[in-house]
Amino acid sequence: MARPGGGFSTWVYALLLRCYPKPFRERHGEEMTHVFAEGAAAARESGPIRWLWYLSGALWDPVRNGLAERIEDAKKDRSAGDAIMRSVRGPNERRGGRMESWIGDAKYALRTLLRNPGFTVVAVVTIGLGIGANTAIFSVVKTVLLDPLPYDDPDELVMLWGEMRNRGVTHFPSSPPDLRDYREQADLLQDLEGVFSFQIALTGDGDPVQVNAGSVTPGFLAMLGVEPILGRGFVEEDGTPNDPNFLPGQPGALPGMVLLSHALWQQRYGSDPSVVGRTVELGGGPGEILGVMPRGFELLLPAAAALHDPIDLWIAARIDFDNSPRNNVFLRPVGRLRDGATSGQLQAQVDRISTDLAALDQVKSTAGYAMRVEELKSDLTSDVRAVLVALFGAVVFVLLIACANVSNLLLVRASGRDRELAVRAAMGGSRGRLIRQMLIESGVLALAGAVLGVLLAAGGIRVLLALQPGDLPRIEGVGIDLPVLAFTLLAAAVAALVFGTIPALQASSFELADALKERGQARGGRGSKLLRNGVIIGEVALSLVLLIGAGLMVRSFVELNRVEPGYEPAGLLTFNAAPPFAAYPTAQDRVNFKIGLAQRLETLPGVERAGAGFPLPLAGDLFNGRYGPEEALTNPEAFGQAAYRFIMPGYFEAMGTRVLAGRTFTLADVADSAAVVVVDELVAESLWPGESAIGNRFLVRVVSPEPEWVEVIGVVEHQRAETLASDGMEAVYFHDVYTGGFGGSWAVRTGVDPLSLVPQIRAELAALDANVPLADVRLMESYVDQSMGPTRFALTLIGAFGLLALTLASIGLYGVLSYVVRQRTSEIGVRMAFGAARSGILKLIVGHGLLLSGAGIALGLLIALPLTSVMDTLLVGVQPTDSLTFLGISVIFVLVAALACYVPARRATLVDPVAALREE
Amino acid sequence: MTAPSDPSELLPLTPVAFEILLSLTEENRHGYAIMRAVEERAAGRGRLHAGSLYRALARLLDSGLIEERDPPLEETDERRRYYRLTRLGRRVAVAEARRLESQVGAARDLGLLGET
Repeated sequence: MARPGGGFSTWVYALLLRCYPKPFRERHGEEMTHVFAEGAAAARESGPIRWLWYLSGALWDPVRNGLAERIEDAKKDRSAGDAIMRSVRGPNERRGGRMESWIGDAKYALRTLLRNPGFTVVAVVTIGLGIGANTAIFSVVKTVLLDPLPYDDPDELVMLWGEMRNRGVTHFPSSPPDLRDYREQADLLQDLEGVFSFQIALTGDGDPVQVNAGSVTPGFLAMLGVEPILGRGFVEEDGTPNDPNFLPGQPGALPGMVLLSHALWQQRYGSDPSVVGRTVELGGGPGEILGVMPRGFELLLPAAAALHDPIDLWIAARIDFDNSPRNNVFLRPVGRLRDGATSGQLQAQVDRISTDLAALDQVKSTAGYAMRVEELKSDLTSDVRAVLVALFGAVVFVLLIACANVSNLLLVRASGRDRELAVRAAMGGSRGRLIRQMLIESGVLALAGAVLGVLLAAGGIRVLLALQPGDLPRIEGVGIDLPVLAFTLLAAAVAALVFGTIPALQASSFELADALKERGQARGGRGSKLLRNGVIIGEVALSLVLLIGAGLMVRSFVELNRVEPGYEPAGLLTFNAAPPFAAYPTAQDRVNFKIGLAQRLETLPGVERAGAGFPLPLAGDLFNGRYGPEEALTNPEAFGQAAYRFIMPGYFEAMGTRVLAGRTFTLADVADSAAVVVVDELVAESLWPGESAIGNRFLVRVVSPEPEWVEVIGVVEHQRAETLASDGMEAVYFHDVYTGGFGGSWAVRTGVDPLSLVPQIRAELAALDANVPLADVRLMESYVDQSMGPTRFALTLIGAFGLLALTLASIGLYGVLSYVVRQRTSEIGVRMAFGAARSGILKLIVGHGLLLSGAGIALGLLIALPLTSVMDTLLVGVQPTDSLTFLGISVIFVLVAALACYVPARRATLVDPVAALREE
Repeated sequence: MTAPSDPSELLPLTPVAFEILLSLTEENRHGYAIMRAVEERAAGRGRLHAGSLYRALARLLDSGLIEERDPPLEETDERRRYYRLTRLGRRVAVAEARRLESQVGAARDLGLLGET
């Protein structure tokens, strides 16, 4: 379904146009939509009241006029049709057939439902909420999990992840020679290409900007089946190597061959086709623009690949596959399977190659090296599958609960309709016909619920996107399309069967004579009572399960808010300002730039401390290497893996990270490039448990190919860097001169509103070097907030569905008890006549309700215990079987149930015994 | 659909149809402009929504009182379709105006509209 421009109201209008007959719609529909949108835009300008007034009229208009047009068409058709029929059959023959009687039943159902608007509205809204929730979540599941990736034969694409099993490393990149070996030896692969990304300054044609560059082996984009829309794609020669010691961001003698992303082409070059062939300056070196990639093209790799997002331009990596060292790992290998090959077969082949590679290399053989093959699509969605499965389960529960409510409504209503049904039966309506009639009524209800549900879902999807579930790949593409509508219809059909079958069978199975004899007194047969009670117990059980899920998410969110990340996010500004290698060729040059900028920043009023550090926590960059005690020289298995961070003096103070022992870096450390490091408490604890770490030496490998000795000068608290939800890897902090001074992220501690300082920071940077772009300006708080996104997303949705379920279940409980009270009025009257106290009656009814909910809660706990384990990966600091949550939610449920029972029970105590008995 | 040659066969027009013919007497217009013109003449006394407008437009097109024409050169929005009055349409509009005029005249003669 194409979505005409102009927003949600226009979309609804286009949907409502379906009221018109098709030929009319085809002739004028598009134009009418346009006229509607123009009118809406004009009305919107004259204020919200005017706009709403316009919408209310304009959205009703297609319903009214559309149906009028249909009626007019039908009149025309009938006069034409009658003429034909008469000529064929003669005037007196009665028309009729299977189809006609179905339509007749549907019309009858519609009339019956419209006669009882209260019931109909409640039922349609209940079903609509259930179907709406299902439609919205299914549209997400479909886009994120089910739709094929937008590449050629996407099922053939695989990721290859390095593992170092002895060090707990699961997503290690590969070195160029390793990639080459797999490419040459794994003949189950058609292609094996590599990608990595970095940030680089684009200068020389306008303001300097920092861009995210995706560096790929020349065949990478062609392997995906993506062609540039302008210019040419990469060829083998574009990757002719430059320099054997390739460092990201370093300019070489040969120009970088560049393909622009569509967005960068539009924004920076105004969609000018003549950019093809132009030379630009990239990080101070030359770059040649070869072409432009298609609009919307993005590289969808799992977050563990740590690629920058979005990629602004693509560069053909100039890699010397034969002479690159095997410990220079930076490539993410992506491959394409040969026709008919499976990832399992490839894994076996890759395992053999990995064993051979490990035999050549001491690090690989001792670290437990292996290469893991993953299918790209399942790998891409593996992190989010749990939340989507949990949400989908939640909405299925909501729909079932909604069905239970409507089913009970129908059961209650059916008992009031005995006489009508009996009359129909007496007049020759067969049992089958009655069942059909009831089911058609359910179908009409479900269909109306589906229409409402689609509207709710369309609005719900917007809310969902506003929650920014950042880690759901392709979430921007979520919408209501044909497959989603088909799912909605299916859900409606299933719902109709679920809530319609029991009442239909029930209603058709009574004793005709009894029903006709009874004076409207509802039957309270054992069977129907059991059914109603069973339905309500099931409903309570399901909503308890949902609410326990919601409770677990609440606890997780509370835990997450209590996490001490190892830095103070409030008042902390971060940005990127990296000295380009061309203008600052040596490590000392680059460090001097950083010292200069830090001094300038610290003179600004409001700035307390400024320090460069790379990578910053939660910013998405990861960099790690090994570390170990002296023993590791002879026994490399003693090496562990740690995050490496490269920092300048002032970094810890700016971050607000506490120093636990010793000291942090000073300018003196930076001046003589001493081999001193700061470690976090996890490293200190693992190397020297229970002792002071200060002054001790240990092994790392950061600047030379061989292990090197460094000395600990300080211990700091651990920073949570990968996500807020878990501790993550231990960290070693090097000072910038020691490691070569690359990276250029900054942490600035401020005493004022951090964002108010941005213009002054920009001015100071420009005064130092106008060619260095200020990029990625963000509050540390926003990284923290982003890291909470998935938990908040799951919490909001599961919480909303849980509350909806609780509400529906309470309404259901209330409805059933009201019915019970009405049915037992005479019994209550008798009891009261014999002297039962009102409090006794209250107890009787509330007790009945609590018995039902108690059974439901017990059943719910039994279901929840095994089921909440699907949420395991969503939870932070709380077990899926957390007893506090289970108990707390059960108590809440009992209280709500008691309330839902109290109102009808109170009504029971007001029964006038005399009146009740007289009625009998 | 073949158009009858005698305009009186098509009378009386619905009020909306007559308003559309009036608005197209002034100049050729697209749908939204017709809507605006009709609403302006009604001076806030009523709103014409797309449904009523296009049902009337469809009848007028079918009976040949108006026809579609190419948009003017300065029109940039290609979704807009322009309509103009046919000769028959003009004759029908005149006939309808006369019919109404004679009715209003009769009402005035009977003193329904007060002294003028």
